[in-house]
Amino acid sequence: MLKGDDMETAQATEPAVRLDRVEPAIADRSDPAAVAAVQVPPVFQVTGLSVTYGSHLALADVTMDIRSKAVTAFIGPSGCGKSTFIRCFNRLNDLIPSARVTGQVLYHEDDLYSPTVDPVEVRKLIGMVFQKPNPFPKSIYDNVAFGPRVLRRKDELDGRVEMALRRAALWDEVKDRLKTNALSLSGGQQQRLCIARCLAVEPDVILMDEPASALDPISTSAIEDLMHELKTDYTIVVVTHNMQQAARVAEMTAFFSVDVGEDGQRTGVLVEYDETQTIFTTPADPRTEGYVTGRFG
Amino acid sequence: MTSTSALGSRRALTQDRVINWLFLSFLALSLLVGFLLLGALLVDVFRKGVGELSWSFLTNPPSSLPSRAGARPAILGTIYMMILLVVLTVPLGVGTAIYLEEYANKNRWYNRWLEINIQNLAGVPSIVYGILGLAFLVRGLGLGRVLLAGALILTLLVLPTVIVAAREALRAVPDSIRQGAFALGASQWQVVSRQVLPAAIPGIATGAILALARAIGETAPLLMVGALAFIAFNPTILGDFTALPIQIFQWISRPQEEFRHKAAAAIIVLLALLLVMNAFAVWIRNRYERRW
Amino acid sequence: MRAEFQQDLDDLEAELQGEGSIVLRSLRGALNALETQDVELADEVIAFDDEVDDRYHGLEKRIEQLIARQTPVATDLRLVLAVLHSNMHLERIGDQCVTIAKLTKLTSHLETKRSLIAGFEEMGSRAEEMLRVALEAFANRDVDAARSLSELDELIDRGNRDVTKQVLGLAGQPGMQEWGMRMIVVSRCLERIGDNAVDIGEQTEYLVTGEFTEFTDASHPEGRAH
Repeated sequence: MLKGDDMETAQATEPAVRLDRVEPAIADRSDPAAVAAVQVPPVFQVTGLSVTYGSHLALADVTMDIRSKAVTAFIGPSGCGKSTFIRCFNRLNDLIPSARVTGQVLYHEDDLYSPTVDPVEVRKLIGMVFQKPNPFPKSIYDNVAFGPRVLRRKDELDGRVEMALRRAALWDEVKDRLKTNALSLSGGQQQRLCIARCLAVEPDVILMDEPASALDPISTSAIEDLMHELKTDYTIVVVTHNMQQAARVAEMTAFFSVDVGEDGQRTGVLVEYDETQTIFTTPADPRTEGYVTGRFG
Repeated sequence: MTSTSALGSRRALTQDRVINWLFLSFLALSLLVGFLLLGALLVDVFRKGVGELSWSFLTNPPSSLPSRAGARPAILGTIYMMILLVVLTVPLGVGTAIYLEEYANKNRWYNRWLEINIQNLAGVPSIVYGILGLAFLVRGLGLGRVLLAGALILTLLVLPTVIVAAREALRAVPDSIRQGAFALGASQWQVVSRQVLPAAIPGIATGAILALARAIGETAPLLMVGALAFIAFNPTILGDFTALPIQIFQWISRPQEEFRHKAAAAIIVLLALLLVMNAFAVWIRNRYERRW
Repeated sequence: MRAEFQQDLDDLEAELQGEGSIVLRSLRGALNALETQDVELADEVIAFDDEVDDRYHGLEKRIEQLIARQTPVATDLRLVLAVLHSNMHLERIGDQCVTIAKLTKLTSHLETKRSLIAGFEEMGSRAEEMLRVALEAFANRDVDAARSLSELDELIDRGNRDVTKQVLGLAGQPGMQEWGMRMIVVSRCLERIGDNAVDIGEQTEYLVTGEFTEFTDASHPEGRAH
């Protein structure tokens, strides 16, 4: 840009519209403020959440919102409580007798941990995919049909199974062998089957606990593509130890770290939660910077 | 010769080889002892008993005449007892195992107490169960010396074993299956009945069959609750009864050599029954073998 | 596989081409304003530069995100880097257009020399042509077309030398000196636009071959470097 005296002598006339102004196509997508402006109310609002196992404080005082119809990633070193945290959203920690959850988790308007809430009902709305593919030792069909059967939605079962398998990008690979044992599938296929199984319940949220860590790079890529596909209809929360995966798939990223107390007790804490691009380009906390640049943790 | 080279110390290498060889020899020896003892037993029994095996031996009642003596009531008694045992132990044992594995909060003292008791019960000598049966079932409840009393006492005897086996089988079902089912909104009952139990059935079945096979060979408790050695009619559930081990025991204690041969033949029948049961257990295991 | 990433790369390239086409529009506007001494149009060109700058910053931001989030490698990495550099060259061209427009406004009251204006029109058309070739070569991964840019650039350079010579000839005409001085800068701007188009061509070669060569090396003017 020419800077100098020439500038000042230029007359400020109203420009005619011979060079049509083009709407910038970029701004709306790259500007976080613009994205935030159209944001619908969060799916989860977590306030002061802590988890203890017996006397061990595993996760301390987490407060964050989970954005609707987007992918939110939790990253951090081992033992930072990210897996513990994700299990609070479908009350899976209830299965561990010594686990105690304090604080508040609002799901839309409802308190997930209110005494009147049945965890079984919670899990019908908030599905989960685990680290290691865990298909039931049954046929592919029965795996997907399990959810609808359990929920007594047995009408149109074939249709539900097909729909779920299609959405999980698995239908074409398995449509001719629905009755074969799910354990005969490859690891990547098994994981997509687990996603299909989850979709068959028609959840609102899908929690994924390191969904690709046991898979080869190709299968990992397929799962990541699937997450990208699914986020138009579902809210996805994913725990990953693979930072690049978080960078690739998530809109929002939360970085958790470990505080070691004087007694050697390791407690997970939320360090930073922001737009993924911010976390990976200009993180606010030096601990986040250290982690994402690979210099710590 | 230097003691160390790029491939390590040679002397240490030779020592390792010797130790290896000694250990393998020990293993082979243990195996040999087991096989020899079993082989000797089998050869002895077959030499004596095969000649006695005939259709009439299987269908005749016992008799004081060795030539006419058969084992029909004993075989039937054993079979009836097996059926009763299955009906009684499997639901009770599996139910207890499911409670302990799937429902019980292990932090509660009464559940831990229960576990310890069951483990202890598995170690109680069978004769003690016999005494319990005599005192509690036969006399206390006035059941009398009947087949049901025998079956009940054998049930008590093998129940801890069945529970332990079923618990092992349930524990072998990976937690990921339970979590997967829970995460789909299944209730505890649905998780257990639709996923965990079906996955554990092969393990439970083999465990139960092996426990039953052990019960079938038991003699002492049956003697205590009054199994009779000489029954000329078919046994009934609420009537006098006998069983193969009792019959064998009785025949062996007879002075006549012919009865010894009858005993050997009965042993062959008992062994055949055990073999069939074990084969069934193996078949189930192979049939439903799973990998996770 | 990696559908989102592929989409991002495609978007990136589309944005670059979009930026190229509005820079071309800006250049055409600047040339027309110069020829007709149209102050209004010159103002419009100056204002329009905000558009170019928005695109430039938007593309920069997207590239930053893409590198941070998708970790491109191999061809993808070269594409991202080539877009990054080409983006900068396009923005520079936009700035040259603004400079021409500003000079047009400064000289709108002055007497002009027709032959020189016609020379600018020719240089400008060549610059437009070069920019089109550069953008197409980039889109088509056409290394030969990209290399041909340095020959086209030679013509602009020649035009630039002619202009300088003519302006020197104006030195004796009192009324023409200011205009002449300004026009040397205009000529220089057009010459720079040609250089920037060549630079985009170099990025195309880098994108396709992984090798970076200066098509016209200022320190070795006698021969092309590749």
